[in-house]
Amino acid sequence: MRPSFFHHLHPPTIPERQARFRYTLAAGGLAVFLMLVLLVTGILEMFYYIPTPTEAGTSIQTLTFLIPYGGLVRNLHYWSAQFLVIVSVVHLLRVILTGSYAPPRRLNYLLGMGLLVLAILLDFTGYVLRWDEGIRWALVTGTNLVKSIPLAGNALYRMIVGGTQPGQATLIRFYSWHIFGLALAAGILVTWHIFRVRRDGGIAVPPPLLREDQRRVTRFELVRREILAMLFAATALILLSTFAPAPLAAPITASAPIFETARAPWFFLWVQQMLKLGNPFLWGVAVPLMVLAFLSLIPYIFPKPAKHELGRWFPKSNRLAQAVALFILLAIITLTLLALLPAS
Amino acid sequence: MRRYFLLAASFSLLLGLLISAWQEKRLPKPIALTPTLTGQVEYCLTCHLDLAEISSSHPVKTFGCVLCHGGERLALDANLAHSTMRGGKNPSDFSVVQASCGGDNCHSGTAESYRNHIQRATTSIQATYAGAIANIRYTFGAQPDLKARMGVFAVQVPQSTSGITELAAFNPTQETNPFVQVFGQNCLTCHLSAQPVQTGGRYDHFSGCSACHTPTQSTDLTSVDTSTATDVHKLTTAISYTQCDTCHNRGNYNLRSITFEPRQDLPADRLHDYYQPIAQFTSCEWKLDCIDCHTRTEAMGDGNLYSVKKDIQYIQCKTCHGTLTDLPQTRTLTDPNDLAFRQATLNPVIDLKLGDSILVTEKDEPLWNTRVLPDGTYEMFAKADGQRYVFRPVKGSTCTQDPAKQDSGSCHQCHSVQR
Amino acid sequence: MSRSTLSRRDFLKLSSAAILTACGLLGLEGLFRFLTTQTEPPPPTDFDLGSASNYPPGSRTVHPDIPALLVHTQSGFSAISLACTHLGCTVESKPEGFTCPCHGSRFDLQGKVTRGPAQKPLNSLRTGITSDGKLHIYTNRITPS
Repeated sequence: MRPSFFHHLHPPTIPERQARFRYTLAAGGLAVFLMLVLLVTGILEMFYYIPTPTEAGTSIQTLTFLIPYGGLVRNLHYWSAQFLVIVSVVHLLRVILTGSYAPPRRLNYLLGMGLLVLAILLDFTGYVLRWDEGIRWALVTGTNLVKSIPLAGNALYRMIVGGTQPGQATLIRFYSWHIFGLALAAGILVTWHIFRVRRDGGIAVPPPLLREDQRRVTRFELVRREILAMLFAATALILLSTFAPAPLAAPITASAPIFETARAPWFFLWVQQMLKLGNPFLWGVAVPLMVLAFLSLIPYIFPKPAKHELGRWFPKSNRLAQAVALFILLAIITLTLLALLPAS
Repeated sequence: MRRYFLLAASFSLLLGLLISAWQEKRLPKPIALTPTLTGQVEYCLTCHLDLAEISSSHPVKTFGCVLCHGGERLALDANLAHSTMRGGKNPSDFSVVQASCGGDNCHSGTAESYRNHIQRATTSIQATYAGAIANIRYTFGAQPDLKARMGVFAVQVPQSTSGITELAAFNPTQETNPFVQVFGQNCLTCHLSAQPVQTGGRYDHFSGCSACHTPTQSTDLTSVDTSTATDVHKLTTAISYTQCDTCHNRGNYNLRSITFEPRQDLPADRLHDYYQPIAQFTSCEWKLDCIDCHTRTEAMGDGNLYSVKKDIQYIQCKTCHGTLTDLPQTRTLTDPNDLAFRQATLNPVIDLKLGDSILVTEKDEPLWNTRVLPDGTYEMFAKADGQRYVFRPVKGSTCTQDPAKQDSGSCHQCHSVQR
Repeated sequence: MSRSTLSRRDFLKLSSAAILTACGLLGLEGLFRFLTTQTEPPPPTDFDLGSASNYPPGSRTVHPDIPALLVHTQSGFSAISLACTHLGCTVESKPEGFTCPCHGSRFDLQGKVTRGPAQKPLNSLRTGITSDGKLHIYTNRITPS
């Protein structure tokens, strides 16, 4: 069989052990698939979405309730976005817990961190585009956090909000960032990321002489597995989107604020919980940025994993990095759960 | 085995798509309505198509639903669609009535055109509760006289001609007398701007305009029979005594504990169950409905602030029957724009024509459901059920009244029904 | 493969392809319905031009919002649509007839084509006077003039 265009996107063969689901968790591939779903459903949403404060809510309601399959498209976009963040984190964890970030993959690790940040920013900007009562306070507090940054805060705020308070200018800015600025950057970065995977020698694996298992699978088998994964993922996404609608509240109106428990979107709940501790700049900006910086520096500050231990879970030689990553994960999960507890 | 995976995966995707398509088919087909007054399409009828027209003055094709009720006009999800409804189940609640029923072309027009209903109703003692508050505060020494100083909410009427131009908000926590505080806790549910004493059933409509204009014939107020729920969606000026009865004569005051002991039933036998045992009344007081005698300004206020019911209530027996020396006041309808015609159109129990003479009150309010007959008697059509009554003036009769005594107690000396 | 029967492998491949094609067609049908739904109400077809007495006999009045030319002659009111029958541009009403600014079609005073590329004459619109004397033009009933 002659390899097709899609086969050519893959290396001719890859090591069998590292091609297994239980090693990759299919996280990287799923992230690419979810990005494609997001691109397609996002374009479809753009046909109906109107980015003005008065019409954002009504246009989303029109899309959701009155356009055939409009609700499905919106739910697919919503769920894919949430899973993209989860799958990216899983991918990051897999890379740290297998020590795959070792040179020459340090640059690609940073590209991946950039993609994770973009996924979160895309999720947040997309969330704001709902422009309903559910996002009102997250938008206010999120943008006011920017203001708390010393020196640059006010300028950054004006840059993001486009005025002295959230309004029409803010919505069009979030819209432009979401559909163009961030999405374009993510597209470029993901292409670069995938290119670097090939350039850095494919999936991390011990040098040929140190390998216990020399078996390899062909690109045909690899593509077949990818198709399988995509078909199952697509089925799951469609079923979930058919029966679990994306949240939507009444549009923001100046006159009638609805006071319910104002929660941040789920991926920022840990930050919201820390903000209860006090100083907004420290807990809302500095600490999350430090976490991010620390995670990014893992390949640079921790001992390199041993070559013969590459390509498998939990190598002994980078136990410290594993422990640190799991500790951060645990801390974020704990903070998130605390934020979900009903206020006593 | 492995080679079946692809087939199985393809099949699962097809199944997923089919389920999604089937789910899409199951959704109700949206029913659009573009009311002429708003010009904005709304989809409320997708679920509420069976709802009866609320009144002939508010056809749904013209008003739609959202203009009065608020809500999300495009949402087909019940929670979202109803999340922004004004006043919940009752858009006429006084907290939102201006947005729901107001507007220069609607019910907050000018006093000259008799269209300032919201201003009148929200300043009337039925809404301010000023009389009861003044009475209690005076009784327990919190104020030196019976003149109203406070309402359940603060209100200003600079042009009020009654001598009271503003009421402060009554705040029980700032009262020093414990009895006034208890009154504040127990007794502030009896006015049109109050939270009804209960939620659910008919109680959801017992505030604002609908407290009177959405009448119920049901004797069970705690539930709405969903099979006949359409009769909750009703606005009318034909209000029978049973609707007044949902608040008035609903139980007894316990003066010792300063509580109200409500009766649980809505009395069906008016003659025997409705009135207090010691009350005296004459035939027209239990055969007619309250609104057949009491005018709109008595019930809804005249735009001024008052201290107590007797300041605004002025209809007496003589309004319709006159005295031994005088016939009741009448007016011959010569102006096609006469208020009487508009009121008779809204509740067409009488066919008024130009040239007809009708009875009018001492304040020149038209008793638009009456007519002077050629033989010197009068006819009256009951506003709630259209029943026709014919009655005579006192003048020229054998009545032995003292013309100076026109209170009901004096008339009841001779004219009262035996129970 | 000399035998005419399919091998099991090919059969599986073919059925997977068939199912995936069905999925694709289903998706296309959904996409078609998604994209063809009309969210805006259709334009009005009934235009109230106010009291008929505002238009004296002999008058020719352009109503750019319809767009139409209202003509009052001895035989009564009539209306000519100003939408060019070629590709829909609004034609300009001139004393000698109508000209289209887009591709140069010309029509005479009765709306007949005097120069291409338009093939068909301008459409006539139905007019009517309501009981309270208001003149209406209806754009849902058109006839070639």
